[in-house]
Amino acid sequence: MPPKPAAPPASASSAPAQSTSAVQTLWKAYNDQTSNRLKFIDSFLVFLMLSGIVQFLYCVLVTTYPYNAFLAGFSSTVGQFVLTASLRSQVNPENKNEYKEVSPERAFADFALGSIVLHFFVFNFLG
Amino acid sequence: MFSFFAVFFLAALSTLVHAKSSNGNSVLIIAADAQRDEFSTFFADLKEEGYELSFREPKADKPALVEYDVPAFSHVVILASESKIFAKDITPQSLVELVSGGTNLLLGLSQKQTPLSSLAAEFSLILPPPGTPLLSFFPERKEAPSLIPITPPASSHILSADLGPVWFSGIPIALGNNPLLFPILPAPAESFGGDLNSGADALVDASEKTGEGLWAGSSVSVAAGFQALSGARVTWLGGVDMLKDELIKKTASRGVRSGNQQFGRDITAWTFQENLVLRIDSTEHHLVNASEALESYTTNDNIVFSAHISHFNPRSGKWNPYSGIQDMQLEFTMLDPHIRIPLPPVPGSLGKYSTSFRAPDRHGVFKFVVDYKRKGWTHLQSSTTVSLVPPRHDGYPRFLSAAWPFYVGAISTSVAFFAFSAAWLAGDSREGKKAKGAKAQ
Repeated sequence: MPPKPAAPPASASSAPAQSTSAVQTLWKAYNDQTSNRLKFIDSFLVFLMLSGIVQFLYCVLVTTYPYNAFLAGFSSTVGQFVLTASLRSQVNPENKNEYKEVSPERAFADFALGSIVLHFFVFNFLG
Repeated sequence: MFSFFAVFFLAALSTLVHAKSSNGNSVLIIAADAQRDEFSTFFADLKEEGYELSFREPKADKPALVEYDVPAFSHVVILASESKIFAKDITPQSLVELVSGGTNLLLGLSQKQTPLSSLAAEFSLILPPPGTPLLSFFPERKEAPSLIPITPPASSHILSADLGPVWFSGIPIALGNNPLLFPILPAPAESFGGDLNSGADALVDASEKTGEGLWAGSSVSVAAGFQALSGARVTWLGGVDMLKDELIKKTASRGVRSGNQQFGRDITAWTFQENLVLRIDSTEHHLVNASEALESYTTNDNIVFSAHISHFNPRSGKWNPYSGIQDMQLEFTMLDPHIRIPLPPVPGSLGKYSTSFRAPDRHGVFKFVVDYKRKGWTHLQSSTTVSLVPPRHDGYPRFLSAAWPFYVGAISTSVAFFAFSAAWLAGDSREGKKAKGAKAQ
């Protein structure tokens, strides 16, 4: 962990400076240590999260009226998020020991099948 | 064939001649033989109207009221108001059963305690104690205070508009709070129930016991009508003297002819179901802009309900379409009325009443209920059951503008999923090569 030794002097001076530097070091570490494939998954997860937040705010602030459409749209983002997150943990090389029987190909096949079933239900429910 | 037509023709002719009441023309008059001459004008009027009169002594066994469990007469008139003993089959219970079975009754009360007095209590009539006739000292006249000329009420469905003063001698009837009971001829305001011979103690005691106050003023009646739920009608008279020839011939005070004869005709016309008789011929319901009735409607459907109502015309003996009801209501009920709206007559289409409404947003088994009960008129009751179901799976509104954010969200998720999968697979092959390359290195 190279960033850690740099942190203690910053904390002594001021808390905001420490937190900024912590975020920066976190971001830097993420950029440096994460493979492009995982970053690609993460960007998809961020997109899903934003989409879900927008729909939730629209439902709370504007209208709940077709409520089934809200449930379908919102649950599609949540479901897709869950499936994608599990894909991420299964293909992460650091978790190799935990998923010994699951190859990355198998993980992707599970993810794809689960997503297709999810979208089938979502569009059926969307109205 | 010819004989068949002849029989048919004769039958048709006979219905034309004897089609006065909507309920049949056989009348049983229970009166002592000695009384029959006193009511000759009343009987002659009934015969003239086409009724077939049968007579029976109060204590005689025949003709029977009920034969083989079927009422033998359409109408029963009991003029033997003072008779204390009746034949075995004329009891308050049997008369109540007759009314439940649809037989009309015209009953006379008297000052004496008779079986009819105990029957009166069944109809929520509150009678004064025995021996207290209706008395009035107004207007000033040479007759006894118990013989009173009564001016009929100005507006009445039952009595003729031009009815003269009616001579009355009998007891006042206080009406209980039974909704089926209503006054036909109220007593004059200055009249009261009393005893000329002894003090008023008995009357005061009785009034305190019943808690109804004294039998006085225009709140008590001398003739009261009761419209039973079976459709049968019962009329109670405070005394039968008013139908006797003696009072029919007697002139009213100012040289005007008394109204007793016309009064007898009016009350028999009502009691024997000639007047104010209505029926619902049919009801129908369908969607707005459709004509077929559905077994089940969807919530929030716009439904049209119509009823066709006829009125019995005693002159022709036919049922004619009738549009004169202005205050009828339709209820759409599931246990409670969810909707109660006016059911007005349709202008230009005689006898038809129609209304349309939006079904409630509530599913269940509903009923279209028409329940029209007005004093003096036949009760109109109709109930049609339909079920109200939620929209089918594909019956909901689709592609709503308000839902576009959700549509866009779901579609973008799917598109992003496919794009992600494609990129993943493409990257996989590249990465696979890279990995192989790395291994090779």
